[in-house]
Amino acid sequence: MTKGSATTSSYSRRDALRMVAIGGAAGLIAPNLLGKPAHARTSPTKPTGRVIVGLGQEPTVFNPLMVHIEVDDGVHFSVFDALFRIDPQGVIQPNLAMEVPNQKNGGISEDGLKWRIRLRDDVRWHDGKPFSAEDVKFTLELITNPNFRSWRTAGHALVRDITVVSPTEITWRMEEAFAPYLSFLTETFIVPKHILEKEANPNNAAFNQAPVGTGAFKWSKRVAGDHLELVANTEYFGDGPHIERLVFKYIPDLTVLYTQFKSGDIDLVGQPYITPDHYGEAKTLPNRVVTLVPRTSFESFYLNLERPQFKELAVREALYAAIDKEAIIQGLYYGVPTPTETFMPRQSFFFHANLPLHQFDVKRAGKILDQAGWAKGADGIRAKNGVRLSFTNSTTSGDPLREQVQQFLQQTFAQLGVEMKISNLPAAVMWGDFWVQSQFDSVIVGSSYLIGADPDVTNRLHSRSIAAKGGRGSNNAQYANPEVDALLDKGARTFDPEARRAIYSRVQELVRRDLPFLPLYQSNSVEGLKKGINGFVPNGNTRTESWNALAWYWAS
Amino acid sequence: MTAIVAHAAPARWWHSRAVIRFMRHHLALLGIAMITLLVLACAIGPYALPYDSLHIDLRARFAPPLTGNHYLGTDPLGRDLAVRLLMAGRVSLAVGFSAMLLSTLIGTLIGVTAGYRGGWVGAALMRTVDGFLSYPSIFLVLALAATLRPSPAMITVIIAVTSWMETARIVEAEVRSLREREFVQAARMVGLRRAHIMFREILPNAMGPIIVAASLAVARAILLEAYISFLGYGIQPPLPSWGNMLNGAQQYLASAPWLAIIPGAAITMAVTSFNFIGDGLRDALDVRNDHI
Amino acid sequence: MSAFLVNRLLQSIVLLVIVSIIGFTVLNLMPGGPLAQFGLDPGMTQKDVERLAAQLGLNRPLWMQYLDWAWRLLQGDWGHSFRDGSSVLTVIGRHLLATLLLMGTSTAFAIGVGAWIGIRGATHRYSLFDYCATVGAMVALSVPTFWFGLIGIYIFTLKLGWVPAGNMYTIGDGSVLDYLHHLILPSLVLSLVHVAIWSRYMRTATLDALSQDFVKTARAKGVSERRILLKHVIGNALLPMITLAGMQLPSVLTGALVTETVFTWPGMGRLFLDSLGYSDYPVVMGLLIFSAILVLLGNLIADIVIATVDPRIRLA
Repeated sequence: MTKGSATTSSYSRRDALRMVAIGGAAGLIAPNLLGKPAHARTSPTKPTGRVIVGLGQEPTVFNPLMVHIEVDDGVHFSVFDALFRIDPQGVIQPNLAMEVPNQKNGGISEDGLKWRIRLRDDVRWHDGKPFSAEDVKFTLELITNPNFRSWRTAGHALVRDITVVSPTEITWRMEEAFAPYLSFLTETFIVPKHILEKEANPNNAAFNQAPVGTGAFKWSKRVAGDHLELVANTEYFGDGPHIERLVFKYIPDLTVLYTQFKSGDIDLVGQPYITPDHYGEAKTLPNRVVTLVPRTSFESFYLNLERPQFKELAVREALYAAIDKEAIIQGLYYGVPTPTETFMPRQSFFFHANLPLHQFDVKRAGKILDQAGWAKGADGIRAKNGVRLSFTNSTTSGDPLREQVQQFLQQTFAQLGVEMKISNLPAAVMWGDFWVQSQFDSVIVGSSYLIGADPDVTNRLHSRSIAAKGGRGSNNAQYANPEVDALLDKGARTFDPEARRAIYSRVQELVRRDLPFLPLYQSNSVEGLKKGINGFVPNGNTRTESWNALAWYWAS
Repeated sequence: MTAIVAHAAPARWWHSRAVIRFMRHHLALLGIAMITLLVLACAIGPYALPYDSLHIDLRARFAPPLTGNHYLGTDPLGRDLAVRLLMAGRVSLAVGFSAMLLSTLIGTLIGVTAGYRGGWVGAALMRTVDGFLSYPSIFLVLALAATLRPSPAMITVIIAVTSWMETARIVEAEVRSLREREFVQAARMVGLRRAHIMFREILPNAMGPIIVAASLAVARAILLEAYISFLGYGIQPPLPSWGNMLNGAQQYLASAPWLAIIPGAAITMAVTSFNFIGDGLRDALDVRNDHI
Repeated sequence: MSAFLVNRLLQSIVLLVIVSIIGFTVLNLMPGGPLAQFGLDPGMTQKDVERLAAQLGLNRPLWMQYLDWAWRLLQGDWGHSFRDGSSVLTVIGRHLLATLLLMGTSTAFAIGVGAWIGIRGATHRYSLFDYCATVGAMVALSVPTFWFGLIGIYIFTLKLGWVPAGNMYTIGDGSVLDYLHHLILPSLVLSLVHVAIWSRYMRTATLDALSQDFVKTARAKGVSERRILLKHVIGNALLPMITLAGMQLPSVLTGALVTETVFTWPGMGRLFLDSLGYSDYPVVMGLLIFSAILVLLGNLIADIVIATVDPRIRLA
């Protein structure tokens, strides 16, 4: 755990399950010991030293409730606290709350509708004012304020009748039972009522550029376009922080990011981490620790099932068989990612490990197509009933590795009598209507399907979530399977982890069979830091490497 | 060439002063030689090399120059760099040339009209030129490239649409000064149509500056294509262009520097040649409009 | 003169309107838009996206969005960034200094070196030096800046290790020396083109001046060549030099765009690219208007200077 080599392998799923089950109790025994190293006694008595984290995008949104992107998370986790946090094993731990509510300890009613949270009484804001249940109420209400430019509102929109019972206790009612909400709350940071309630327009508040939180680090200063600096909050209620200054440095070019890690200008490489082609060299650098950390991001060859070319399962199976995953992962990605058959990350408690394995076999792919009646035409391209097996593939331009994958697949598919044209778009164009309204033929995309570590994927796979058909989610493959729909509905209402595991295992089996997208791999980030930094624990269940900067310290 | 004839009108065009002066301009000759070499290499070279520009061979990735038959090495997908460089040259040079033709056409039309008509038409046209010129042209190009699908033809149009203003300005100034000359007044008195006067009488006499501007426009178009492809908005792979070969090369600067050095050298060579030629033409045609 | 100024001012305003309309249209024609960056967020629903579009006013017809923006601008409100809610002027202000530092250094360097090369070339006309300078300038104008930057990084950072590969300063240091160390490579790369322009310009100007009668008179009087150069030639070229510098004002934005990208310099060029990438329309529009104003100002100054210096040119 302490040498930066923490992986989930040391931790059995049974343990995880037990911890999920007893949740609150585990929390009471070890409150806020998140990622705290076993030998933390050797950490300095007073915060000392500075850690510079290099980031490939610039953090600009410091109000954690406002709409933001991944890279802003590192600041939010350091400056603010949430009611709960999620640890590297996917277990939810108390943060500002005293315990994690569940149906056994009565924090959540049997029907899943009534929630009660007990809060810590020893927390203060960075300006010295005490934290209380009023702040939690204010936060939850601000999120659903129609004038506030808030981030995700799913789940929060179901909350009704928020009642402050006492400064340390708050209750609310849910419009419908929604198990994933607990996970959502691990990414919902609590903001100070006494500062924000005075603002006429919370969107332009001064607070947004100089945030005040309860977290282990206080806001210090920012040089736009370059870096921002946080300082230790010595009054922090939990253990830590042990470093005096935490700096996030913006380095837009990934090669320069790596070069500066190599030269020692930055102490830790944050997202998007070290590029795979530098992994081999990075491992050999003296006085650096480089580890592969499983992330929740899942890379797939994503299909638009409403296109006539892809409607038939045989075509999807044939294309899948024609993908040389081994060559892509070992050759183009230097062995960094892990091949997978499902969207569920393997570190998840809900991961289905026994799905049918993909095998690269162009001959078999050809046979599947022959049998399905897709015969080669005069132009060498297969066709059936007037539909040519020709399609375009898109990905974000300026991503050399994905572009290489495309060109590699283009060549294999051509051997099969399948024409794949490449048409890449800038990110700002790609992920707009082109993606949301399913205007693509196929894309190569890597993204997380989970929120926090909750297995609910309604937003991605439910037929109600097809935006192109008036739905409200991002099921952009336009995948529709009534059995999957029913399972997802049931899963969102179910609180018992074992019962949920059965549900989501079945979902994974069905999706693997139907192939709405061809699974390529699960991403691993190549995280690197200087050898002297202790207490760094990667956490694939959060979106940031800096989720527990409070535990970091320099070896003396 | 009509311009040169119109200028000096000697018995044989190669006896003209302009041609002789151009031939004395060593740099311009060097430019011509280099461009000829490049064009020939790009046209014939790919047939002479034993590889296909699109053939991927993952076992041969990142071969440095002079490995076996890979004279310039290979790229991250194991494709032969030499053949890709030459195929890219076809695309980049074609885009550069066509963009020049198109932008010269637009610029000339607008310049002649504005210069000859004058008045509010001329003012409106020239203010539009000013408007376009006060943009960072790279912005217009990037925004347009992001909006439209970047095929080579589209990139050509985008470059032309954002770089005709210089030509328009030069032509407008030239035509304005020619407008009151005797031969134009004579044509007007004879009762020739306006279009005839503009394009048959005045334009041939303004050909000098246009040719100079055109040769410099090729250079600029090649550079512009390189910039937008470098930033990832231009010609899309697998079709190679000099610019998109450089896109991503920065990533391999430490391990495979030839990926960055070689295409950049090709761009520099082509652009320098056109600038040399432009300089030679300027001297030969005695164009005073020195705008560098 | 005042009639000329009023006329120019009116024309400039019309121009700004044209510029802003074209910019606004092109930006909004771009498919995708400011909310595309959340397309992959697993927790954001279509409902969230629609809500944000309404909050940012993006669901209104384009002309209404434009008029709203223009009306606010007239009142001095440049709008707020879509990304972080800060006012656009604040955002630009945060990046202005970095660009000015880079541009200032490289322009000073370019003028100094360019003038020296130009004058020397003119006084030693057709020498080897002159010939090399001429060819060198042509080549310099032909090298893609970003490529020159890459080669510079390869040689001076990766191979020789003399200078850092990017950044404006080392965090925690920030001394003048540290700034200078980081400035060397990007300002050299950026000044390459400008050295070429300035050297060509100074060569022509010096040749012009040297052929003037007063130089011949001075020579006849036995004034030293050095003094002639300093007093007459450079003095004569000074005002047009200011004009040229004024005309280069707009390149504060464009000139540094690519260099700032290659060298991770936190200036306005990179702000522009980042904002374009995030479709942060208010900031992009702000930068456009800002640079258009610089262009117009540069042109105006150039015209006024020329008119003041050379009474033969009529204004208006």
